[in-house]
Amino acid sequence: MRIFINEKEIVLFRGATLKEAILTYSKVSYKKTESGYLGIYDRFGFLTEPDGPVYEGQHFFLKVIPRQSG
Amino acid sequence: MKYSHSLFYLLLLLISFVPGYSTAGNKCKKSFEVVILHTNDMHAKIDNMGKLAWLADSIRQQHPHVFLLSAGDNFTGNPIVDMYPEKGYPMIDLMNRVGFNLSAMGNHEFDLGQDMLNKRRNEANFPFICANIDVSKSKLKKPSPYFLLKVEKCKIPVLGLIQVSENGLPDSHPSRLSGLSFIQPDVKTADYIKLKEKYGMLIALTHMGVEGDVPLAGKFPQIDLIVGGHSHTVMTKPLMENGVMIVQTGSQLKSVGKTTLQITNGRITDRKYELISLAAVTRSKPEIQEIIDHYNDNEEMNKVIARAETALNNQEELGCMMTDAITRQFGLDFAFQNSGGIRIPNLPKGDILYKDIFRLDPFGNQVVTYNMTLAEIKSLILNAYNRNKEPDLMASGLKYTAVVDGNGLCTDVEMRDLSGNPLDPSKKYKVGMNSYIGATYTFDHADPGTTNFDTTAQTLINFLNEVKSVNYEGTSRIDIRRK
Repeated sequence: MRIFINEKEIVLFRGATLKEAILTYSKVSYKKTESGYLGIYDRFGFLTEPDGPVYEGQHFFLKVIPRQSG
Repeated sequence: MKYSHSLFYLLLLLISFVPGYSTAGNKCKKSFEVVILHTNDMHAKIDNMGKLAWLADSIRQQHPHVFLLSAGDNFTGNPIVDMYPEKGYPMIDLMNRVGFNLSAMGNHEFDLGQDMLNKRRNEANFPFICANIDVSKSKLKKPSPYFLLKVEKCKIPVLGLIQVSENGLPDSHPSRLSGLSFIQPDVKTADYIKLKEKYGMLIALTHMGVEGDVPLAGKFPQIDLIVGGHSHTVMTKPLMENGVMIVQTGSQLKSVGKTTLQITNGRITDRKYELISLAAVTRSKPEIQEIIDHYNDNEEMNKVIARAETALNNQEELGCMMTDAITRQFGLDFAFQNSGGIRIPNLPKGDILYKDIFRLDPFGNQVVTYNMTLAEIKSLILNAYNRNKEPDLMASGLKYTAVVDGNGLCTDVEMRDLSGNPLDPSKKYKVGMNSYIGATYTFDHADPGTTNFDTTAQTLINFLNEVKSVNYEGTSRIDIRRK
């Protein structure tokens, strides 16, 4: 199964979760998602929890989660 | 007289074919608001149920017409619920007490097994709906395809739909789907789109992921609202597609969606959505919290699964047990477990408890299986060794010797079966490992791998339940030879 993280192609086993996809992409990035610094966004721009499933051809993007001021 | 009767019936016939004309709308004259509270993919996380109950009660005090919906995957993900003797019961008990009105069928509902799922559905005070399932050759009790939310004389149909993967099944272990068949969601939606014509409104309660909901909305603009699940998408605002509002709340009962529908003359004339974080809800309904505390203080976790005839003294002995569980439960040739995934240093002689397994293997990793050549297996072991210049992978089904050079790097791996016989370099072996290894380790593998959605912890529990006693004293399957 091939998916894309920040436009980089990742080859994964069938049935993988988004967490496993991010771990494959970069363990450092995964740690940053765990700490809440980075968020995983889908192609529609929505934040997605890492325990969700991934499927062939999906695109996700790692972005800094905006801090709420005040 | 005869003529006027004919005219009347002709008019009636014509009216019934006006697109979107709602006969129910005639009875549904009032203007009112309906609040749909919804969540999805709770995955047996019960800790926020008290907050949800408090929130739902507060909203019920403000609004006369409130419905609480789950878009599926109520089960799997919390050992307190998953390991309960009546598997999944705490979730149904709490959902009943909080006042859920309806649930979609998610792929993880099937993790209970069909008999147990039937029991849980019988205990539920709310129905599970699914339109695109055929249970005729299975043990599963047939779910209703849709449910009518009733507000006085108005009826709002809610259609249930589940995701169907490329293999024609939802994502669950195929053995649990025995006898079930699934129809593509859009095919069944076409069959039930008449509900919109009949009732003037239509909600889809889906477990298809946002990537499934968007094309559904593209094809069926008649749907007013899709309350979705499966992709664990945290929608802080709705996704509008082809005039259809799509909403979803993430996972693990961290948030609740509040979708308010304005209904005027039997039609939905306005839709508002907000995502409410339960972290921001400071109050919990005391009687629900008491039940949650009771379940969390569950004696079941102290129950004995098996007996360790001798202590498991180190990572390798523990790793041998963990990997033997994988090879035996999945009928594989070999299995591997990384040392970093073994989270306790030893297990004492005596009873092995459920809670010991979740201390030993707390990560919720899945078992991934591959068909691999010996050369590919060698690349796995070698690269794993060189991560930290020490043996990393515990093994089942084989013994290996890491050949290490003067710099401490593994340059070769020699493998034999457990009786010491050489392995066949021309053969493809069935190999299992946890999904962390599959995702993060570098190794050659032409087969991309497959998971059957079982966790390694559950696999070990199943193994120990079967063997009842283990003895790994002195078991060693790894050797190092320095050049």
